[in-house]
Amino acid sequence: MKKNNQSAKVTTTSLAEKAMGRSLIYWLVIIAILAIAGIRLVQQESELLLRAQELNLWLPTGLYWKTLMQYPGGAASWFATYLTQFFFYPWLGVAILCGLWLMICALLAWIYRLRGPWIALTVLVPLALLACFTQTGYWVYYQKLQGHLMVPTVGVLFATLSLAVQRLSDMFLPSRIARWLRLIWMGTVCIVGYPFFGAWALGATGLLCLPQREKETGAFNIRFSVLTVILAIILIAAVPQIYYQQLFEMTKRAYVYVAAMPSLRYGKDSFEQYRWAYYAIILAFLILFIASLLREGSALAGKLRPWMRLVLVLVLLCVAVFGVRATWYHDTNFQKELAMNRAIEELDWERVLTIARQPSDVKPTRQIVMYKNLALFRLGRAANEMFFYPEGAVQQNAPWRVRMTQIGGKLIYYHYGKENFCYRWCMEDGVEFGWKVETYKFMARTSILNHEWTVARKYLNLLKKTTFHRAWAEHYEKYLATPEAFDLEKLEASVKAEKPLLDEEGLKEFEPIMHLMTYPDRLDGDNTLVEMYLLQTFAKGNGDDPYFQEMTLLCALIMKDINLFWPRFMRFATMHPDLHMPLHYQEAAYLYGHLENKVDISHMPFDQNVRDTYARFMKFNEQCGPMSEEQKAVAFYPQFGNTFYYFYFLVRNQKTN
Amino acid sequence: MADTKKKHWPLWAVIALVIFHIILFAGTGFAIFGNSAEVPDAFTEVKTSPSIYPDYIDVTAPANIAPLHFHIDHETDITDFVSRFTAGSETWTLGGEDVRPGLKKWHKMVKTALAADGKIAVEVFTKGNNGWQRYKPFCITISKDSIDPYISYRLISPSYVTYEDLTLNQRCLENFKESLIYGNMINSDEENGQCINCHHAQWYNPNRIQFHVRQYLGGTVIAYDGKVQKIDLKTDSTLSAGVYPTWHPRKPWIVYSTNSTGQSFHTRDVQKIEVQDTKSNLIFYDLENNTVTPITRDTMEFDCFPFWTPDGKYVYYVSAHWERRDTVQMDFELIKNYKDVQYNLYRIPFNEQTRTFGPRELIYDATARNRSVTLPRVSPDGRWLMFTEGKYGVFHIWHNDAELMLLDLAQAQPTTLTPVTRFTPDNIPDEMLPPMANNVVRENAADSLNEAMGQMHPLPAAIRYITELNSHDVESYHSWSSNGCWVIFSSRRDDGNFTRPFIAHHDGNGHFSRPFELPQDNPQYHRQFMRSYNIPEFLTGPVTVRPQDFATVVQKDAIKATLKMK
Repeated sequence: MKKNNQSAKVTTTSLAEKAMGRSLIYWLVIIAILAIAGIRLVQQESELLLRAQELNLWLPTGLYWKTLMQYPGGAASWFATYLTQFFFYPWLGVAILCGLWLMICALLAWIYRLRGPWIALTVLVPLALLACFTQTGYWVYYQKLQGHLMVPTVGVLFATLSLAVQRLSDMFLPSRIARWLRLIWMGTVCIVGYPFFGAWALGATGLLCLPQREKETGAFNIRFSVLTVILAIILIAAVPQIYYQQLFEMTKRAYVYVAAMPSLRYGKDSFEQYRWAYYAIILAFLILFIASLLREGSALAGKLRPWMRLVLVLVLLCVAVFGVRATWYHDTNFQKELAMNRAIEELDWERVLTIARQPSDVKPTRQIVMYKNLALFRLGRAANEMFFYPEGAVQQNAPWRVRMTQIGGKLIYYHYGKENFCYRWCMEDGVEFGWKVETYKFMARTSILNHEWTVARKYLNLLKKTTFHRAWAEHYEKYLATPEAFDLEKLEASVKAEKPLLDEEGLKEFEPIMHLMTYPDRLDGDNTLVEMYLLQTFAKGNGDDPYFQEMTLLCALIMKDINLFWPRFMRFATMHPDLHMPLHYQEAAYLYGHLENKVDISHMPFDQNVRDTYARFMKFNEQCGPMSEEQKAVAFYPQFGNTFYYFYFLVRNQKTN
Repeated sequence: MADTKKKHWPLWAVIALVIFHIILFAGTGFAIFGNSAEVPDAFTEVKTSPSIYPDYIDVTAPANIAPLHFHIDHETDITDFVSRFTAGSETWTLGGEDVRPGLKKWHKMVKTALAADGKIAVEVFTKGNNGWQRYKPFCITISKDSIDPYISYRLISPSYVTYEDLTLNQRCLENFKESLIYGNMINSDEENGQCINCHHAQWYNPNRIQFHVRQYLGGTVIAYDGKVQKIDLKTDSTLSAGVYPTWHPRKPWIVYSTNSTGQSFHTRDVQKIEVQDTKSNLIFYDLENNTVTPITRDTMEFDCFPFWTPDGKYVYYVSAHWERRDTVQMDFELIKNYKDVQYNLYRIPFNEQTRTFGPRELIYDATARNRSVTLPRVSPDGRWLMFTEGKYGVFHIWHNDAELMLLDLAQAQPTTLTPVTRFTPDNIPDEMLPPMANNVVRENAADSLNEAMGQMHPLPAAIRYITELNSHDVESYHSWSSNGCWVIFSSRRDDGNFTRPFIAHHDGNGHFSRPFELPQDNPQYHRQFMRSYNIPEFLTGPVTVRPQDFATVVQKDAIKATLKMK
């Protein structure tokens, strides 16, 4: 009778397999999902990936390992930062990531002995990991967990490998031995794994304690399962506390259970919405565990018909895919900021402007406006085109207040010749968020410009130890050999003599900055307001360098400060007698002349279109008399949006951050 | 039925295991044997010393110091390295650009050297395109004067306002072991940051130490013979809680400065930060009775950095006289005129019976010389006072002209203040300026005139620049070993930004040997390390209170000190 039942079961299983096709189909589904995820990551998130590896650091040094291992889970960060650096080539990093995800799927299918459609469910884990990845947004600047983008993948891989070892012992050893070995292995994973993988080791312990069928009988050993769960609970509760008491002297007691997990907190606020993706990882494992109970041949499996399994799998996959879509961070300004940042780093000023011009349904952030102004200034077109681009002061799309000093402020300070402030914010960020390739690069360059050769070498040497930034460091290292090139007078003389002390790239990058550094030292502070600080210090500055002097005029113009504008305007005119006065300067002079009558503008050779536009502006203003300022801003924009008149009267409250 | 057939390990697992073991054994073998080498038979002589980091050329080291590991800096064409150490008649040869004798070998070298002439001769050979060459040999002199086995210091990134990952550490000087005394992250989170600073032990005793915790869970942590408590030293009649401490050499008394401190940032100067007090006084804290008594309260005198003499009879400190002109924006006025704030060296006598302090005496009138002093530290024999001098201010770690100076207290006498007139860009006479002088020109002219006037006042005979310790860059914090034979001091000579501790031998007569940088197992450690050593101080042993135990005390409410007026 028993034999008959068994053969009937085998027949049913074979039929089911035939009906649903071979496992290969489901592997193809997994590969297809991962391939699509990979392609979308490369297509949509290349800028993020490139920035993420700049905001990452992996060094093959004992000190780096020691620094990370001060905290539980340091090894997870070590592996994660190692992997993150491969986003230097986004396709390569993504290929590695997808490869790891595929490996996780394969291991999970094997560990949980999944067959048929259940195999496809293994992709739920990578999808949860993908959600952790793609919800990042501005966290890329604010996460303190080193290698935060890859830590979940590393942690899950660790847990999966722990399960795989257990599965191996189950395979090759008799149940009686394997059972006890399982307990030892669980203890080992928790006790040995915790210092290296933090909370991920605790998670692995939790997975290892889930009940398993006896190999010989196919049934659960209830007593042993209860014992395993109790031991796991004790381990999970006790091990972090013991490590806190005995080893980890730098971790707050309350954090020992979430070590190596991203904090998802900023200041006083905790952002729970970002935690769902992490809960989804746990959920995915639970689903796989349940699926393992439903696998063919089990008593429970008989209750689910083949088509029901297929539908269930499809539904779960759809929910997961929609979940990923829903949590995927999309923000035009964020993408623009990233792209402009990279274009500036490559000194491709035209590309910065191209990105600034890209149509958008939201107004730009101040960061975008400042990047655009910097590019125009570097191209010598700011005074003619500054107001041809959309103005805005939209806050960055993050649930906390994003500060410019922590995102693009350092780049802006660097290019505006405020090297000490760039260095300062690199140091502050390095202390608060950890050292990154980007901070070392800025610190090296600012140190070169500040003639601090030895410390510049220190940062360059550190960069030379990285896998992908060695060439960059070597490029900048050669400037250390020509310190005289960073004396502006000597550099200009060498250029005049057609024997420039710097190569073409060096000249392009450093010379304009050196012009902007021609101001005297004083004690100051920016109160984290990059734009306001730059405007104030430049507008009130005074210099003989024409490049610097124009910056003082531009800032006086942006600040709409008439008293600061006139002396700088006159000086500019004197310094550039042969230059046709740029459009926006003319507009400002013409407007201020009419507004205040303090300066006689009657003899100034204004362009006819400057006069005409002003006249039209005033006439239109009369026509729109009863309108509110907001209404006027909309009404005037098509005709006058690109003029200083519009900026002066109708662009207000551009709150900087 | 389950398959009972014996299963074998899969082939891939066996291969992986073999590869793993090959790598493991090869790595271990290289680590153990990889650095032995042979001195070349033929080589050319180079007249210069090798370029090594840290610079241990011709330094004097104590017998109980950790091995002086160093790295040979070299050009890219150098392919091989050999270093030969000779002590007495014995030699040791090491290969590789990182020369790391290790503890055992080093102890043998030291022992042999001490049995002979006390010197370890070092020869460095390198092999380049032109074959082997030998650099000019150098010596490491081993002193029989031992050094205190431990130092304590704070590790802090040279940052401006952030202080994540701030630690008070201790390091055993006899080996490379470093451990934590207390780290701020154990009690910090995203919302509540914690600064820790100003650790100080009573007469080198690791069982009697104090440090401050600021902001979150703030207070002064005092460990005294096994009892650890957190005290709130702020009273209604004092400026702040205690800041810069000095223990009485024997009694449970601490003199602190109380400070109202701010910092601002240089826009161009590479000194980057200026830390200034807008007010500072001195207080006396009695640990037994938990009372705070103000010592000085004059708002026009900025009293700071007290140091109790080893006999307990005096407290040396520095003080700047500052008369406010602008009563509305006092802080701004100080920031604007930061170069005008200069500190002199004073002392006040202390009566142990009455626990009272006498009137102050001027010991060194630095302002007359257009200079500013800080950090007076008296040697354990009471003979020498080391301090740091710069052009202005009191926080000389950010002043690259800061230099160590030595005052012979046997010759020092109280003196009187010389009235000085300071030129500023506003009061400088026009005839002293070129036509159309702008602010920068005025400021430079004022600086030059003040400097010239300062030069007219000679350095007192009892004081000298410690040229053997000073460098082109910052020298700042310093402390004497308990036997007075060694000093440890902070310097930024390596790169101008990161502070490293240097140790030098003192011969007892006010002369020092060439200093050496704190040795590390990995000789290039400090080149990679992104934090500064702050307040290096000697200890006669390790602090035994665990960081977790300090953390528990810090979590508790601080015990409020009571005010006791004289």
